[in-house]
Amino acid sequence: MTQAPVVTPAAETVAETHPEDVLVLEDVRIHDDLSDTELVHGVSLRLRRGQVVGIVGESGSGKSLTCRAVLGILPELIEVSGGSITLLGRDAATLTRRDWTALRGAAIGAVFQDPASYLNPSITVGKQLQEVLRVRGGLSRKDAHRRAVELFDSVHLRDPEQVYRQYVHELSGGMLQRVLIAIAISLDPDILIADEATTALDATVQAEILDLLAELTERLGLALVLVSHDLAVVAQLCDEVLVLRDGHVVEQGPTARILHDPQEAYTRLLVAEHEQYGLERYLGTTADAVLPTEELNRV
Amino acid sequence: MRRSRGRRLAVSIGKPLAVFVPVFLLGTFFTFLLGHLSGRSPAYIQLGDAATPEAVAAVEHEWGLDRPFGVQYVDWLGDIFRFDLGESWFNGHSVAEVLLDRAVITLSAAGVALVIGVVAGFALGALAARFHATWVDRAVTGFTTTISVLPPFVVGIALVAVFAVSLDLLPAAGYVPIEAGLGPWLSHLILPAIALSFDTVADVARQLRDGLVSTKRENYVTGALVRGLGPRRIFFVHVLRNGVGPALAVLGLKFPALLGGAVVTEAIFGLSGYGVFATQAAIRGDVPAVQGVLVVSVVLVVLFNLVVNVVLNRLAPAAARGV
Repeated sequence: MTQAPVVTPAAETVAETHPEDVLVLEDVRIHDDLSDTELVHGVSLRLRRGQVVGIVGESGSGKSLTCRAVLGILPELIEVSGGSITLLGRDAATLTRRDWTALRGAAIGAVFQDPASYLNPSITVGKQLQEVLRVRGGLSRKDAHRRAVELFDSVHLRDPEQVYRQYVHELSGGMLQRVLIAIAISLDPDILIADEATTALDATVQAEILDLLAELTERLGLALVLVSHDLAVVAQLCDEVLVLRDGHVVEQGPTARILHDPQEAYTRLLVAEHEQYGLERYLGTTADAVLPTEELNRV
Repeated sequence: MRRSRGRRLAVSIGKPLAVFVPVFLLGTFFTFLLGHLSGRSPAYIQLGDAATPEAVAAVEHEWGLDRPFGVQYVDWLGDIFRFDLGESWFNGHSVAEVLLDRAVITLSAAGVALVIGVVAGFALGALAARFHATWVDRAVTGFTTTISVLPPFVVGIALVAVFAVSLDLLPAAGYVPIEAGLGPWLSHLILPAIALSFDTVADVARQLRDGLVSTKRENYVTGALVRGLGPRRIFFVHVLRNGVGPALAVLGLKFPALLGGAVVTEAIFGLSGYGVFATQAAIRGDVPAVQGVLVVSVVLVVLFNLVVNVVLNRLAPAAARGV
């Protein structure tokens, strides 16, 4: 797995304000004002630099809402009704619109499912990265162009100069996700949220993107929140897993424990389903489902 | 795969041009055919109803009307390419020369109306989209619906009654060339232009509002937000650019209406533009003059739509893949 969080004895006692914590969620509740129902019933998590936390759950379990709350982009009439979100030591509830704009990109970035829809179809993808570097990074047009090509190269896009000049409709899903990742990390954020970032991609591309995320986490010291409905994806990268169902946290803990020794019935069901329908069973290697993923991670 | 900027531009101009040529040829052909089928003859305009058949034949021979239809058409079309629209049957003046003077007046009015349509339409549409689903949105929708059903002749008369007669702020009628100064020129044009523009303002505002509201829901707007771009930048670079398409397309459709509406507004405001010229020519049975007006209209409308297409393709390159 990725590097273990550095914990000093002194920090343990004052966990509330640990300087290494980049993202802290305390009993976050999300409420829909239109239907007057609570959608997420108390999520807590603590994320440090270089750490990867996974959120697993089926559609509608509140994974994406939790991410959107962290990014400050909840849909209209849906709001955080309880608990607190602390981004780099700042309480999200006290942030103004201007504060959010300053934080996004520079402190927290995100990539999503269906990367094509998250890029402007009328502007070349290079221009969209260049725009962020220029407007937020303060680079000149020329420097921003050069840096954009570098970033495209760093996410292993072949022929980055060529990609720079292309439009969304000219690129494949895997390439677009790399472009989105390059844009998300362009301002050196502390936190990256990958909300079902590999879901719409085919299996080999999915593995490549996961490798890339692992590499970036290690190289840049990013704190990564990896959201997926797929246990295998989470198993490959995460230090800690949080299992969500209908807005409730069913189980939470170190990945190895959750996968090998699930305490709750729902988690056991998820793991069992994976063993039943996964490729490992077909190949007759059900003995240790985590083994091949660990190998993948080292590639 | 590799497409240069130059090729993109060439495609965005070449495609509409491929549309322009057939539309121009068909349009002019039907224009000429209609004139031919009207059975009008310069002989009756010049000689009166009591002309003898010999005299009629002589006049028609003089105008070349006894030649076969095809020969006349090719001859006429060839003249058009030399900017010669023939001579008026009524007074023998060059149609092209007379039309040019008239068209300047009509195009001035239509141009000012277009500017008002774009500015007011965009402002109202953007306002409604910004305050989507609030009272501002509903007020704009109510206003645009109201003005869209007011015909130009009613609006024109009302504007004259208020601004020219009651308040005495602006001249009620007439035209002053732009050489006489921008102020007087505009003061004579502003009322007819406003009367003409209402329909355009309403349609542009409604299309822009809908375009912007649906674009604001797109994921790439969320994407731009997550990248940390400011609201103003997101609106102009990401929302407006992608949401403006329908409003621009409507503008292309509205241009013929602005030219056509000139017939009524020119009559009300005493402008001797080409709308008035066309009506007079049609009543007199002056076929070359009417044909001239139609040819100029076809060219203006197709050219305007060409420009709209080029702009649209430049704004949204993905849209150019269709068709």
